[in-house]
Amino acid sequence: MPGIGAPLSLEEARRYLMGRARELGLSLEVYGERGTATTIQAFAGAVDEFKLSSRQGLGLRALINSAWGYAYTENLSPAALDRALETASENAALSAPLPQAGLYAWGAPPEMDLHGEGLSGVSVQQKVNVAITLERAATAADPRVKSVPYNAYSDGESLLSVDNTQGLERDYQALYAYAYLAPLVSEDGQSKMKMAFQFSREFAQLDPTATALEATRRSLALLGAKPAPSGRFPVVIGAECMAAFLAVYSGMFSAKQVQEGKSPLAGRLGEAVGSVLVTVIDDATLPQGMNSRPFDAEGHPSAPLTLLSGGVLRSYLHNSETAAQAETQGSGSVQSTGHASRDSYRSVVGVDVSNIYMLGGKASRAGLLRQMGTGLLLTDIQGAHAGANQITGDFSLQAEGFWVEGGEVAYPLEVFTVVGNFTELLAGVQAAADDLTFTRYASGAPSVLVDGLSVGGE
Amino acid sequence: MLDQNLVAEVLRAAQVGGAEWAELFVEDTVTTTLTLLQGEVKDAGGGNGYGAGLRLLYGTRVVYGYTNDTSRKGLLEVARALAQSQGQAGRTTPSGAGGLDFRRHDVRRLWDIRDHPLQVGKRQKLDIARRAHAAAQVGYVRTTDVTYTDVTQRLLVANSDGDWAEDERVRSRLAVRAIAEDGLARAEGYTAPGASLGLEFFDDGRPEQAGAEAARIANAMLHAGYAPAGKMPVVIGNAGGVIFHEACGHILETTAVAKNASVFADKLGQKIAGECVSAVDDGTIPGAWGSTDIDDEGLPAERTLLIDRGVLTSFMADKVGEMQTGHRRTGSGRRQDYTYAPASRMRNTFILEGPDTPQGLISQVKLGLYARTMGGGSVVPGTGDYNFTVNEGYMIRDGQVCEAVRGAALVGNGAQDLLNIVGVANDLARGQGLCGSVSGSIPTDVGQPHILISEITVGGR
Repeated sequence: MPGIGAPLSLEEARRYLMGRARELGLSLEVYGERGTATTIQAFAGAVDEFKLSSRQGLGLRALINSAWGYAYTENLSPAALDRALETASENAALSAPLPQAGLYAWGAPPEMDLHGEGLSGVSVQQKVNVAITLERAATAADPRVKSVPYNAYSDGESLLSVDNTQGLERDYQALYAYAYLAPLVSEDGQSKMKMAFQFSREFAQLDPTATALEATRRSLALLGAKPAPSGRFPVVIGAECMAAFLAVYSGMFSAKQVQEGKSPLAGRLGEAVGSVLVTVIDDATLPQGMNSRPFDAEGHPSAPLTLLSGGVLRSYLHNSETAAQAETQGSGSVQSTGHASRDSYRSVVGVDVSNIYMLGGKASRAGLLRQMGTGLLLTDIQGAHAGANQITGDFSLQAEGFWVEGGEVAYPLEVFTVVGNFTELLAGVQAAADDLTFTRYASGAPSVLVDGLSVGGE
Repeated sequence: MLDQNLVAEVLRAAQVGGAEWAELFVEDTVTTTLTLLQGEVKDAGGGNGYGAGLRLLYGTRVVYGYTNDTSRKGLLEVARALAQSQGQAGRTTPSGAGGLDFRRHDVRRLWDIRDHPLQVGKRQKLDIARRAHAAAQVGYVRTTDVTYTDVTQRLLVANSDGDWAEDERVRSRLAVRAIAEDGLARAEGYTAPGASLGLEFFDDGRPEQAGAEAARIANAMLHAGYAPAGKMPVVIGNAGGVIFHEACGHILETTAVAKNASVFADKLGQKIAGECVSAVDDGTIPGAWGSTDIDDEGLPAERTLLIDRGVLTSFMADKVGEMQTGHRRTGSGRRQDYTYAPASRMRNTFILEGPDTPQGLISQVKLGLYARTMGGGSVVPGTGDYNFTVNEGYMIRDGQVCEAVRGAALVGNGAQDLLNIVGVANDLARGQGLCGSVSGSIPTDVGQPHILISEITVGGR
């Protein structure tokens, strides 16, 4: 067994690696994660799936002669930590140098409580009850609910840390609990299914009955669907659907995508790219944000960042490397915006959004529908992995929605295709409602009225 | 990897809530990843995955937990939490506190590793990637990326029946993507050979062959016109096994049968394919990408005959699959790593050779498509309806392979295709893939000789 020697705790392992790096005169960053999670699914009134995980690991990034070398380890014995350090150094020696690469002792992060009351006082039985209640409440709500094929309760507690040999040493604790379900409803040979989701940082705030009733209401609303017409129509994009669009295309704000020539926003800083009604912010410090965090994957403190202000592109998302790269390309002084990301300790450092959202407007959603008169209410898009081009902004997506006549929702539509371009969509926003809603994609938006989208129905 | 007394204690603790069966899976995995973009090292990474997964069965209901704290305290915490999961339904196991007597299975090693990745330096591995990159600089190729990976997984599986097995698995792979451009058009070629071997896999010029193959496809497709649409006979080349894997293989896994999501569920002993078709799932081929000495439940690998001259002879089953469907276990319980419970999965799955020659099959086609290499696609679970893109396609006219065509998609149904296979050639080849499904991403070989299908819908322009 290679893992000889008693394993250390995550905290001991972090200190051990920093000590070894200093002894060796090595520039090193250590990203650490420790977490436990529980997922429970119910079927026919009993627990159908129960999964428990407890995971910890360290991701090392050594900087030698301006080149990064990565290594990770889940084995925290001193021998395994030494091996990881050696692997990271070896890998740095092989990698192409980046003259602007560096490690920094960033300023202090904001104080944030993402852990609340914790989960230690919550029993397994209480968690099981949430999963069973989701299914039972939906089934009892309406005879047209045939089953609940998708449902889950999930929670987790984690500790996340970043240390480096410039003297940075920080960590934070976070907790999440969420519940979702999608009931299958049937009537007159038509079957529909729609999801509802609740996210919280306190177990006690979960309300599975309310979530189940919401999912049931949404699913039933889709029954009686008629084929969608084909053509170009004015569209009200519902708040959750607009937030889904924003999540799908959030990568266009990444300086990494911009520098690799993969963003339609490249070279457009200071230009109007959306209508004056469009202000988009990324904010990792929102108290209830799903992706909230006091600092990013490089330990850089989090702060709200305005990306689009009144339609004008104000900033890209940067980590330290893309910021340095932008400076060398003559963009003046560019700082990291605190958007370094890592999917896990196994992955390399990239750039990503945290909680991205569009500010709401003054109108009500009903007002938007009245303003439109006749057209489509778009409530969901699917298939973005294949049907949304990140480089051009073009999309052709499966969609769900309702036909609107005389400013009122008339009837639901069979699945149809919606075709357009995301930056054109932002430019075509004519009104924004006051119903800013955050979604399970960690993005938020209000309902918006856009001048027109192409729809392909039957 | 772990002390037997500790494993016995953990399995006992896990069964306190009434689980009839418990299993502990432990692994220690070392990986190397080197990514070249345009010949420069873009990312050099790798590391050590380490952890244990504990699976409990209440009837056929699976409860699963994992941790990478394999100390006594860490393992017992998971065991106790899982034992509580069934709430009031659980009952105390009557079998008392006696120790488990493990029967150590001597794992039969099917082949040896000559140049073990843990004994070879990174520069030598990088050299393999560089050779593939150099060999791909042919014709209109402007961009190449090359990824070298190796994996060494040490594992232990022990269960409450007293089974105990340990093994080491080694795998190496080289993926090459070449993009050809001439200012107007752009085409991509991709190949990714791999094996359950060490660096000896790269002997005999394999890196050069891989680079050249990716470049050959990209250059061949650069000036291709669009494929016509319609129903036509199709010859699928021996690099096209992915359709059989996706559209037929998955519905022969008991995971699909148990969920009532397999059109073959009640077809055992019946004719499901043309008489010229026999197919196997073989985990015993020495050094093959999808081979294993034992599966992830500790059972020795075997060669499973799935289809014998058109007749369905076996499904692929894991322990739970056997309990649910009654079909015999076939050593097919596989998982990506300790974070997944195993499920019935394919190993090396392929159609066996027939009497024809590739040219003989092509010569039978008056107007049709030659699908030489396949791209990605999707299959509707249960029905076997599929849609796959053809990466490298050619028109067949009057029995001859003619101009290259791009943008072709094969749209069909796996079960229907099997019945429409009218000719099988004698040139079996296997290709390597990572198959994603319920128990994660696992290495599998797909394979077939050239086959002639009397009619498939081709989607084009």
